[in-house]
Amino acid sequence: MLELLLQNLVNGILMGCVYALVALGLALQFGVMDIINFAHGEFVMIAMYLVFWISLYLAIPGSLTSLIVAPIYFVFGLVVYKLVIDRIVGTYPLAQIAATIGLMVLLRNLALAAWRAQPRGLQYEVLRGSVTLGPVVVPISRLTAALVSVGTMLALHWFLTHTRLGLALRATSDDMQAASLLGINVRRMFALAFGLGCAIIGIAAAFIMTFQQVNPESGLTWGLISWIIVVMAGLGGVSGVLLSGLILGMVEALEITFWDPRASLAVMYSLFILILWVKPRGLFGRR
Amino acid sequence: MRALEVQNLNVAYGKVQVLWDVSFHVEEGESVCIIGPNGAGKTTTLHTVSGILTPLSGRITFYGEDVTGLPAWELAERGMSLVPEGRRIFPNLTVLENLMAASYMRRCRDSFEENLEMVFDLFPRLKERRDQVARTLSGGEAQMLAIARAMITNPRLLMLDEPSMGLAPILVSKVFRSIQRLRERGVTILLVEQHVPVALRVSDRAYVLENGRIVLSGTSEEVASNKKVREHYLGI
Repeated sequence: MLELLLQNLVNGILMGCVYALVALGLALQFGVMDIINFAHGEFVMIAMYLVFWISLYLAIPGSLTSLIVAPIYFVFGLVVYKLVIDRIVGTYPLAQIAATIGLMVLLRNLALAAWRAQPRGLQYEVLRGSVTLGPVVVPISRLTAALVSVGTMLALHWFLTHTRLGLALRATSDDMQAASLLGINVRRMFALAFGLGCAIIGIAAAFIMTFQQVNPESGLTWGLISWIIVVMAGLGGVSGVLLSGLILGMVEALEITFWDPRASLAVMYSLFILILWVKPRGLFGRR
Repeated sequence: MRALEVQNLNVAYGKVQVLWDVSFHVEEGESVCIIGPNGAGKTTTLHTVSGILTPLSGRITFYGEDVTGLPAWELAERGMSLVPEGRRIFPNLTVLENLMAASYMRRCRDSFEENLEMVFDLFPRLKERRDQVARTLSGGEAQMLAIARAMITNPRLLMLDEPSMGLAPILVSKVFRSIQRLRERGVTILLVEQHVPVALRVSDRAYVLENGRIVLSGTSEEVASNKKVREHYLGI
């Protein structure tokens, strides 16, 4: 039992890092422009298919496709921003909900029409096997995914705190009107935040595919997990997102150990409600 | 040179018109104030001039160029700077980061170090607190930071919206002393203020705005000696 718990906790921590990375894309978009994007999970799902197809046609490992998918997804983010988000940012929440839920349904059904419900997994992947640490077996794929996740988060943190553009993004996030009065083109900041958020999804998707398959419904889980983390982190910066991801990963591990793996989403969602009750501004929120 | 010329400005929120044919101007190097009661449209005037709001009709000319309807960030690029009502500093950035964010525009980058020294000289308190997160500042310090932030942008017109709001009397006079110092440095100032006596003291000319219309204008002395102004705003 103890060994099982230990094994599940290690898995939970590794998965928590990946959860955090996926949520970071959403946190960045939500933090800078206060937009509620319900299609976030579907963005992840589409990116996973992209990883699958690029890996298949170019015959390269799925993990390596992150170098291609991230820039493609950055541009994808800019396009979605221009076509949809730019029109609803700063408007009524209802318009945002309607537009992004529409996007969610659109992407999910397009995926269903294009690829059917059959799950797809990578054909080529170099991240195989596992390392054994005492009683714990750590799959190389998950370990790499977690390390890349933490690395990407550190990179974004550095960008936000050490560059002029990063500072402008944080200023826009704090007060967009005051930022625009200082000559910061906030619409450009919104586009940048949306593109960056999507690029992060692209990186995450490539490494998720090294240990998971994708189907048109995959977005549901990733969207839910991301929203739980963003609410938990409460606009508390990159570190808040990482900590929230780790907490969620470990809660899932405990649930799997002591109860039923099939109920893990239900437990996560209960945690979400609980946080909304006790700390509606999030565990690490500043506002 | 005329820094700002506002002609026949009409502004509405939805169907409710709040400004009616408002006209005024500010010469380069001049300090001008708009006074008037709460709800007269003073903030609306500044919001329209600085590009946050778009007017129904009217013309705004900035150093000879028609800038009506341009977005706020583009007006900032041309040298307009508004210290907004309620200060609106970036709460989660440090004092120094607040000032650095103000040097985002390309034209402000080279002068940043020099300007930073200038504002720290003007507000030594900010230098002491440079690494403190801005939301922990007191009201007076926050107002100083808001003014300092605007000064970093090398403004060709500095607009101040109710800088005395929410401040204790001793801080009000402190803030106005710094406005006076900026005026002595030759900064072109457009001030909006409910606190009429101090506003008139730091201005060359004044306009009185009531119910969305300019009802009186003249040099600050003239306005201060007007019978109605004395009764309504100066309490004499």
